[in-house]
Amino acid sequence: MREKNLATMKTAVLHVVLTVLLLGAATAVGYLFRYLRFPETATVLVYLLAVLLVAWQAKGYLFGFLSSIIATFAYNYFFTEPHYTLEVRNPSYWITFTVMTVVAVITSTLTSHAKRSSQEAREKAAETKAVYNLTYRLSDAKNMQEITGVILGAISEYFYCTAELLDINESELPEYRHLKPLYVAPERDGGPPERKSSYVRLQKDVYADEAAWPILGRESVLGIIRIPKERALLMSEAERRLLRSMVETTAMAMERLREAEKNIKARELAEQERYRGNLLRAISHDLRTPLSGIIGTSEMLMAMTDESDPRHALIRDICTSADWLHAMVENILSLTRLDDGRLLLEKQPEAAEEVVDAAVNHVLRHAPEREIAVKTPEALLLVPMDATLIRQVLINLLDNALKHTAPEDELSVTVDAEGRFANFTVLDGGTGIAPDDLPNIFQPFYTTAAKQADAGRGIGLGLAICQAIVKAHGGAITARNRPDHTGAEFKFSLPLEAENEQV
Amino acid sequence: MNRYNEHVLLVEDDAPIRNFIAFALQSEGFRCTPADTGHAALNLLLSEKVDLMLLDLGLPDLDGMEIIKRVREWSDMPILVVSARDQDKEKAAALDGGADDYLTKPFSATELLARVRVALRHLYKQRGLQTQTSLEVGGLSIDLKKRLVHLDGEELHVTPLEYSLLALFFKNIGKVLTTGYIIREVWGAGYGSDTQALRALMAGLRRKLEENPAKPRYIKTEIGVGYRLVDE
Repeated sequence: MREKNLATMKTAVLHVVLTVLLLGAATAVGYLFRYLRFPETATVLVYLLAVLLVAWQAKGYLFGFLSSIIATFAYNYFFTEPHYTLEVRNPSYWITFTVMTVVAVITSTLTSHAKRSSQEAREKAAETKAVYNLTYRLSDAKNMQEITGVILGAISEYFYCTAELLDINESELPEYRHLKPLYVAPERDGGPPERKSSYVRLQKDVYADEAAWPILGRESVLGIIRIPKERALLMSEAERRLLRSMVETTAMAMERLREAEKNIKARELAEQERYRGNLLRAISHDLRTPLSGIIGTSEMLMAMTDESDPRHALIRDICTSADWLHAMVENILSLTRLDDGRLLLEKQPEAAEEVVDAAVNHVLRHAPEREIAVKTPEALLLVPMDATLIRQVLINLLDNALKHTAPEDELSVTVDAEGRFANFTVLDGGTGIAPDDLPNIFQPFYTTAAKQADAGRGIGLGLAICQAIVKAHGGAITARNRPDHTGAEFKFSLPLEAENEQV
Repeated sequence: MNRYNEHVLLVEDDAPIRNFIAFALQSEGFRCTPADTGHAALNLLLSEKVDLMLLDLGLPDLDGMEIIKRVREWSDMPILVVSARDQDKEKAAALDGGADDYLTKPFSATELLARVRVALRHLYKQRGLQTQTSLEVGGLSIDLKKRLVHLDGEELHVTPLEYSLLALFFKNIGKVLTTGYIIREVWGAGYGSDTQALRALMAGLRRKLEENPAKPRYIKTEIGVGYRLVDE
């Protein structure tokens, strides 16, 4: 505050000197006029001119008013009879004094007023121009570096001081950027804070003093602009307004930049996702052909060897493993179809009984000795679905059930309509699901906790894919142990009316 | 041992699959000529008498559809296409384009041989069909002249649409008929591709023919492609 007072005093002294000089000059001219025997009115006018000049040069109304009074007294003292006293002999002078004072006060007030208005207009114009220039340059800025350069450059250009910009990132770790000032010598304190703790402390100071100007975004503080404290104290109202406008302009530019960066990131992510899906699909696709060769050839060999031959069992192992691999490949392909977005879901009304039959036939091809009971409603039940994918769900559930049951255990598929949903239930009489596994059973790559990962292979991805497919159809899938019997019950329901918003 | 002596043209670009199919066919007594490209296959067709063609749809040089189209210009030999599982649309297109049946990779040799036998039998039946008015599969028979259907010796009452559907299947015993083809044949070309009506008609017919419509004995569903009346 002391600096500010000092500055005010300096201007005050300056104005006093100016007033004294001007009024002195007017008095001198008055003497000259008296010597030349000009009429006294000319002297009055010279005094009025001096008052006008004071009001024009000095700040505020005070000096204009004071100089008006002083001018009247000076005229009285120096130029009216008796000279060099404040006495007045001729009462008509009172009229002269009054009129002179009134005219001096009015003109000085008007001058001060006009002066103030014109100054305000000038400031406004300068401010508009500054903000316009800033906006123009910021719109060309392509990254944070450039934005920082532009705003700090503008601040040093308009306020003749150094400035700092603290960029508060989404990750909440601030980045410090300095610009060497154009007009003022060396920049102030420290380097970039590296740890978060120092940032917290820093944030406190930064907010505390009036030299800090937060850059406010719509949702958060984007950064902080700092100017030296000494300079901040000297700022006029107009300068504050200008700086505020500049900071707001910067906020808009920073927000625009962050928005653009976010969009680019999202696009890159989607691109990566698509690339991964394509890669997975290409690999899975290419795996199919050699797998077909392995399965076909090993089956051929199996048919050519006697069952008592030890080679028969070995070849059967090849075949089983290849079969498992093939099921995996088909599951991954189903998954990539879903990952591509729901657009590839080709929902059509399909007869539930046909899809169940297709799944059962597929499963029984690999386990011809098993019996699967099928119950479908008496009336035709048309369910909107992608038949290939729902068949895949049923195949996975049935395969799973076959793996966890003994050949004599019961195994059934039931379809019924319930309200606006069609329920598909796969029921088995096997050992059931371990309670520990129940909550995680639809997690991808989850294999039963009780067994080793290798022993439980096949269920890891299969059930997760079932869930993904059913969800994509707007349905739900649940697993539980049968309450009345040993064994597991998997049930999924599909909406009977095509819900477009789900697709 | 050699029950068959038909000549099978095997068009497949993957050598291991080609080898095992050729081996399976030869072990059944078929004569088998392998070809690894579409052009090689077309050249072989010009120089040799071929009774049946096994065609992989994913050939490197020629579109499988193109080969089917060219062969169908002059021959009614059975064509079995081989394709991957998620290529339902291509399967249906191949069947509509004149292929007789399809196999989905991976398939077993047993399945392959069964399909080849069915296709050949179907061919011979088809050739002698013009004079035949009564056909039967298991306990199901149809009299094309009197427009009557019998199931296990008893007359079965079917609606006119159900009869046309059944007659269509009997004329193509063992062959996969695509939904598009069936709709065109039963309802007419202007009907479009509303599969819902076909599904309903099929469900009604199955409830008359089958003990358990969810485990049909006579008319099997080929998901995503169509239907087939079993051969035996």
